[in-house]
Amino acid sequence: MSAVSAASVADATHGRARRAAPDYQKAWFSAPAVVLIAAVFVIPLVIVALQSLYREGFTIAGYEQILGSTLFWRILRTTLEITLEASLLSLLLGYPLAYYIAQLDRTPRAIAMILVLLPFWTSILVKSFAFIVILGEQGIIKTMLRQFLSLELGTSLVFNRIGVMVGMVHFLIPFCVFPILNNLLAQPPELRRAALIMGASRRQVFFRVTFLLSLPAIVASAIMTVVLSIGVFVTPALLGGRRDMMVANLIDYYTREALDWTMAAALAVMLLLISGALIRVLSRVDSIDRH
Amino acid sequence: MVDHISLPLKIAAGLVFAFLIAPSLIVIPMSFSDSREIMFPPSGFSWMLYREYFAGPEWVAATIESTLVATGVTALSLATGVPVAYALVRSRLFGVAIIRAFVMMPMLVPTIVFALGLYIYFARLGISGSTLALILGHSVHNLPFVVLVVIAGLRQVNPNIEVAAQVLGASVLRVFFSVVLPMIAGPIAAAGMFSFLISFDEVVIAWFLSSPRTMTLPIKMYSSIQWEVSPVLAAISTLLTLLSLVICVLGVALRRPEA
Repeated sequence: MSAVSAASVADATHGRARRAAPDYQKAWFSAPAVVLIAAVFVIPLVIVALQSLYREGFTIAGYEQILGSTLFWRILRTTLEITLEASLLSLLLGYPLAYYIAQLDRTPRAIAMILVLLPFWTSILVKSFAFIVILGEQGIIKTMLRQFLSLELGTSLVFNRIGVMVGMVHFLIPFCVFPILNNLLAQPPELRRAALIMGASRRQVFFRVTFLLSLPAIVASAIMTVVLSIGVFVTPALLGGRRDMMVANLIDYYTREALDWTMAAALAVMLLLISGALIRVLSRVDSIDRH
Repeated sequence: MVDHISLPLKIAAGLVFAFLIAPSLIVIPMSFSDSREIMFPPSGFSWMLYREYFAGPEWVAATIESTLVATGVTALSLATGVPVAYALVRSRLFGVAIIRAFVMMPMLVPTIVFALGLYIYFARLGISGSTLALILGHSVHNLPFVVLVVIAGLRQVNPNIEVAAQVLGASVLRVFFSVVLPMIAGPIAAAGMFSFLISFDEVVIAWFLSSPRTMTLPIKMYSSIQWEVSPVLAAISTLLTLLSLVICVLGVALRRPEA
């Protein structure tokens, strides 16, 4: 392994500087990972950037085509809609769940954590299959409504926006629960007690102490959900309809069906820029909160 | 944090729990159905779908391929992730923060963008569609995760034990292999299992990198859901849920390092 020889080289050359030497040598332990990331992550991303500007020579035709196509703007709109709605909804459902788990004693909390971890660790394909079974025309929900309430739902629950949102929110909730739960558990209980002693109602304690202190975790969750959902590929393909195609599905289409790598790469660069911009905006919100 | 739990909060939490668990629970009864028609509740009990899974050469080949890839990914992501986690926690050298940001990057880039890059890159290198390509792609994808789990384990280990070993004459390498690694064996095992599972279930990178020859289980499932929604999926889903449950419980138990 390169770190081994690297470390011994560092040992030989920096043996004199006794106090700095261990730190210097320990830094060499990052070498294998840095090599892997450089060779299998940085280079592919650079290639995407170059490919987006290349079609038998330098060109910006890929970007021109994208910006000029109504299909792209429609799909971008769908992507942003689904991203924002799913992020918001999963925060709205994840926060009370985290708050509830935070109040539990040790053992019930461990069980609750496993109930959140299990869906987190379950294959997206298992979940998609299950939701098709649950939400489909012959699915559990529709069958139950038919049998017990003799009610026939006019709208489909899957292969449209509803199906996508159900799948996305289910996928995102654990990513909201963990950071918020960590934050809630780390908050010193004295603060709440002090607020109660000073005459605050439980509602005031929540909104003016607990909730405000948990804002950084909410922002962290939001960043995570945005990054995860903006590039989502499987859920819209399996649980959505034709109109729920997202940018990732369009990239796939250009790569594998249209065999137009320039377009695919240009789309990927745009997706990267948009998600980077969203992360920046959200981290700004975070730093404002802290000051 | 023990406060007062109001009834509406309890109900809300219960509903969200039910929503989270429903998909995992629903596939279990479905997998024992005695009919090829997907319906709930199933009309009778049988092992038919499991037999169909284990007798289907394509399903078995995909499962073997996924196991092969996930094993390679576990090895590579641990071999690179554990040392870098050690450097990030124990070295105070200027520049370590940059390395940290560098190694965590795959978490911030949408997987589809990375997958497309790998697709074009490996096509140029002539290794697209190979098991090696899948192992490399998944290892990078899992690296930040492995690093985070190992860092959390290292933070709970007293660094003075390493200083003691060093004062007694152990080299940096010796300290790492004989002192540090045994102390964080639990978190390393947890990180390895998580890495295995993430790779075993990963779809997007595999969708771009696998060929008919190296089709992984998730890709086989993906096409199956897309085209026919085969009932065999219920049996596979139940087995995968079981695997997730085992790894998730073991992982939680192992993450605490031994004192």
